[in-house]
Amino acid sequence: MNPAAQAGVHIFGVRHLSPGGAKHLLEYLEELQPTAVLIEGPSDATDEIRHLTHQATKPPVAILAFTGELPVRTALWPFAVYSPEYQGMKWAKANGAEVAFIDLPAAVTLGLQDALRREENPGRSRKPSSEDRTESSGTEAPAYESIYSRIARLAGEYDYDMYWERNYEHNSSAGAYRSALLSFSAQMRALSEGMEQREEPREHAYNALREAYMRRQIKLRIEAGHRPDKIVVICGAYHAAALADLSETISDEEIAKLPSRSSKLTLMPYSYYKLTTMSGYGAGNSAPHYFEMMWEGMEKGRPDELPHRYLSSVARLVRSGGAHRSTAEVIEAVRLAESLAALHEGSAPTLRDLRDAAQTLLGHGDLSAVAEALARVDVGTAIGSLAEGVSQTPIQEDLNRLLKRYKLEKYKSTVANDLSLDLRENRRVTSEEAAYLDLYRSVLFHRLNLLGISFAINRPSGQEGATWAEHWTIQWSPEVEIQVVESTLLGETIEVAAAYVLREKLQNCHDVADASGLIRLACQCAMTSQIEEGSRALQGLAVDSRDVVGIAAAARELSMIISFGDIRKVDTAPLVPLLEQLFRRGCLFLLDASGCNDEAADRMITAMNELNGIALEHSETVDDHLWLQELLNLSSRDDRNPRLSGFACAILMERGMISAEEVSAEVSRRLSPGIPADLGAGWFEGLSMRGRYGLLSRMSLWEQLDGYINALEDEEFKRALVFLRRAFSTFSPREKTMISELLGELWGVNAEQAAEILTGELKEEEAKMLEELNDFDFGNF
Amino acid sequence: MSTGQEQLQDNMRLPAEVLYREELEALRKEDKGNIPAGWQMSPRSVFTFIAGGKAGNTVITPKYIGNTRLIEMAVATLVTDRALLLIGEPGTAKSWLSENLAAAIYGNSGLVVQGTAGTSEEHVRYSWNYAMLLANGPTPEALVKSPIMRAMEEGGIARFEEISRCASEVQDALISILSEKTISVPELGKETGARKGFSIIATANTRDRGVNEMSAALKRRFNIIVLPAPSDLETELSIVKKRVAEIASSYELQAAVPADEALLKVVTIFRELRSGMTLDKKEKVKTPAGVISTAEAISLLTNSMALAASFGSGVLTDGDLAAGLQGAIVKDDDKDKLVWKEYLDNVMKKKGAEWRGLYQACKEMNE
Repeated sequence: MNPAAQAGVHIFGVRHLSPGGAKHLLEYLEELQPTAVLIEGPSDATDEIRHLTHQATKPPVAILAFTGELPVRTALWPFAVYSPEYQGMKWAKANGAEVAFIDLPAAVTLGLQDALRREENPGRSRKPSSEDRTESSGTEAPAYESIYSRIARLAGEYDYDMYWERNYEHNSSAGAYRSALLSFSAQMRALSEGMEQREEPREHAYNALREAYMRRQIKLRIEAGHRPDKIVVICGAYHAAALADLSETISDEEIAKLPSRSSKLTLMPYSYYKLTTMSGYGAGNSAPHYFEMMWEGMEKGRPDELPHRYLSSVARLVRSGGAHRSTAEVIEAVRLAESLAALHEGSAPTLRDLRDAAQTLLGHGDLSAVAEALARVDVGTAIGSLAEGVSQTPIQEDLNRLLKRYKLEKYKSTVANDLSLDLRENRRVTSEEAAYLDLYRSVLFHRLNLLGISFAINRPSGQEGATWAEHWTIQWSPEVEIQVVESTLLGETIEVAAAYVLREKLQNCHDVADASGLIRLACQCAMTSQIEEGSRALQGLAVDSRDVVGIAAAARELSMIISFGDIRKVDTAPLVPLLEQLFRRGCLFLLDASGCNDEAADRMITAMNELNGIALEHSETVDDHLWLQELLNLSSRDDRNPRLSGFACAILMERGMISAEEVSAEVSRRLSPGIPADLGAGWFEGLSMRGRYGLLSRMSLWEQLDGYINALEDEEFKRALVFLRRAFSTFSPREKTMISELLGELWGVNAEQAAEILTGELKEEEAKMLEELNDFDFGNF
Repeated sequence: MSTGQEQLQDNMRLPAEVLYREELEALRKEDKGNIPAGWQMSPRSVFTFIAGGKAGNTVITPKYIGNTRLIEMAVATLVTDRALLLIGEPGTAKSWLSENLAAAIYGNSGLVVQGTAGTSEEHVRYSWNYAMLLANGPTPEALVKSPIMRAMEEGGIARFEEISRCASEVQDALISILSEKTISVPELGKETGARKGFSIIATANTRDRGVNEMSAALKRRFNIIVLPAPSDLETELSIVKKRVAEIASSYELQAAVPADEALLKVVTIFRELRSGMTLDKKEKVKTPAGVISTAEAISLLTNSMALAASFGSGVLTDGDLAAGLQGAIVKDDDKDKLVWKEYLDNVMKKKGAEWRGLYQACKEMNE
């Protein structure tokens, strides 16, 4: 050891997620036996270290800092099992050394973040994410990416990750990692500091500030009685060179002057998947599971087994996907990976080598064959967990309180439970809370769903239209925990957060149907003010919409809410005028929209059904008269889709708005000889879609149909048959029997005989004729 | 030997080991790496030969432009004495890469089996000089060795072109050769074992998939590398530029090498038609039935140069280019003609003033 290092504290620069760093750090700590281990991390989170090193804590976990008030700022410090920091903490705990975080407190980090953002020139694009702030320490600040890719290129590697893994993670000689990284960081700083000062002055100042603070913290420990050479500082490689000289520190007054936001800290479980999606964070993030495998290998003392384990895992996954892969191919893949590493004079294959080998041998050259397996082996599905009660954000507290209040605590288990809710008032209990317990539960579940917390999943009810019953499947999982913690950023309580999400959604909603869906959501979540906001949004959208199908769907949604709103104890009165307006619009554009092709007519028929339903249900509020008027108009028009005209006629007939004589006059007009078959039969198809018993009870109608069919030419008859066959295909056997009886009577045949002929199996000859009809040429329609 | 060399100079196309003799010699001289048994140079130097770089003072021209990682994987495969299979669309430099790899590693890219539907097992293993066989019975002198057998004896690299065009029984003959690394000649009661350094580089076409699908057993014996179409405009442009200049000099075409602008236009058209959308990804384009590879772009341009040299002023005009484009794109008359017409009117017409001349010429040609 050189004399200079002996005088000062020991700095151990690392990359934040680096199994090699963790291994070398442990060896270093063992050798040095320090009395204090100081770690780059928010100094106000030092208390959390005991939770982090707790037996029950399973990484990946993260420290989350967030501000209480708007605008919400967050900062995150994740740890994986192979994080050097995490292993350093564990070592310190096991060996009785003092351990502490020494970076700026999270409150100041967030305060600075805020200040920086305010100062920021809006025209200038910068890395926006909050995580970047916590990770300017890394050796990979994006602004200097070019330097890193240049290093990689000079080393003959394809990217910096490959260079890093080959030269640092695979370097097993004792002490090499630390000394190499120290000199790397010193030279890198000498090279880039000037440029950083010029081009990224804020970044530079921020780093200088952090380093001054860290130096001060180190000094405090020395003053507290730790021998300098018994202190080990674990920090990002970038800071390593700056922490050796402790002369310049920050004073108390200066610290007091720093901007600060009142903030809270919590630990939260984390997942490998999240680790990969974090922007700006250090190495190892692209393949956490791979690096975990590397760490496990190092712990076992068999790092050389990694390629075998990795490629065997990939092969196993490819096999489980149904493709055969032999062991010989795995062996060859290992050989190829090793040969690729040898081309770069590396001691072991890097992740890139392994992936390429897997693609060539296990994917037979095709990446898509192994892509899924690779992703699963690289990223993994690990989710961390914390001891009960360690993770405490306001929203978690709120949720726990609500779960207790609504007697749902027993459902907070990892076993899926079913829960059926009856939203109606329970009249056998006295307190209001108990009477509406299930309703409150439902509201809570809907709010959680809105927040994207997958704790309770709504299953479709078996009973159609039973709005008072809901079925939920409830299951707690670590992912749910993460989702809850993340919701903290949206608001302090479940209600506030849900309101925030709903408002965001309403602002981004551009569609009548979506808006009405959101209104329903607001009702389910019992958020009155959002219902009003939603109806304003819907109203604004409806004014410009001419889409009858969309309007009808939205109106139907509203009508449901109005009809059943009282079950949810929601005041739906403000929605009534909106329903009227939508209904009127639907009526007014009905005729316009009915000039459509048969495909669109299907949707129009649904819309007409919905509008008619509303007209019947809310006859006292909506303009039923207008509706009937428009239907009459449509039914008498010859230039609209005939099916829709027929359907309008059917509704009118059902509502008793046209007399039997009028119907029969219309039938004979529509089915008179000379009318093209597709028009006549299409109209009849529309007519037969509603009120069938009304049709069946009118003998005269069938006489007319019979007459019409008789009058058709052969070619015309074939065309008409196609439409009629479709029209009658939806009739039930019972209805068909009734028709056959009617026709039997008409033709003077025995009713039973007629039924037998009409409902019996087809003869071979007839089947053949029908086959021919299926080939019927629709081209000239 | 000297006469042989002179003869070679008259050849239409020189093998890579002759064409790049200086580069190979320089690489061998400067080589400091570990040379595997049977190889002429270290794997790193092979890589440099293909990807380009420097050997001492000699500049090594890049032979394969594109993802150099693929070259690394190919070289690494051959180091592990595995056979290498290059697959890709027509015109993605499969044969070119295989020839250059063989030239660098073994110094001879001439041990080739050219796979066709008519290739028989004898081409893969050995056959007989029947006159001698009838006269003397089976003797070593009467044995006609296949290129693969010769490569085994010499510890060299054999190439197998268009392997998927061969009937499956011919492909099957390779299976035991690749796993046992011997060819037995029962008539002579002897076996030829492969010396160190022996390997096979095969190429196959993705468009031929399903013609003679390779068996799983055979596939398993190859490391398979898929050569992609050039990933971006710049890469493709530099490939086309380099090859056009090379071909022009070797065929002594009396036309000026096309201007960068003309190259850019041709490559743009090819890329747009190949990918089915315009370069800015805003518009969909119909793709013609034929192959629109980089190789086609190169031959189109040399073709147009020949036209210009023989019948024109020696300078490539829009008319020459249009004739070349017409020939390259419209192969299956009716449909391709419509595709080309649609492309001309929907895309090229809107490309602005620089394209005007070419557009007019193409339009006339396609009438």
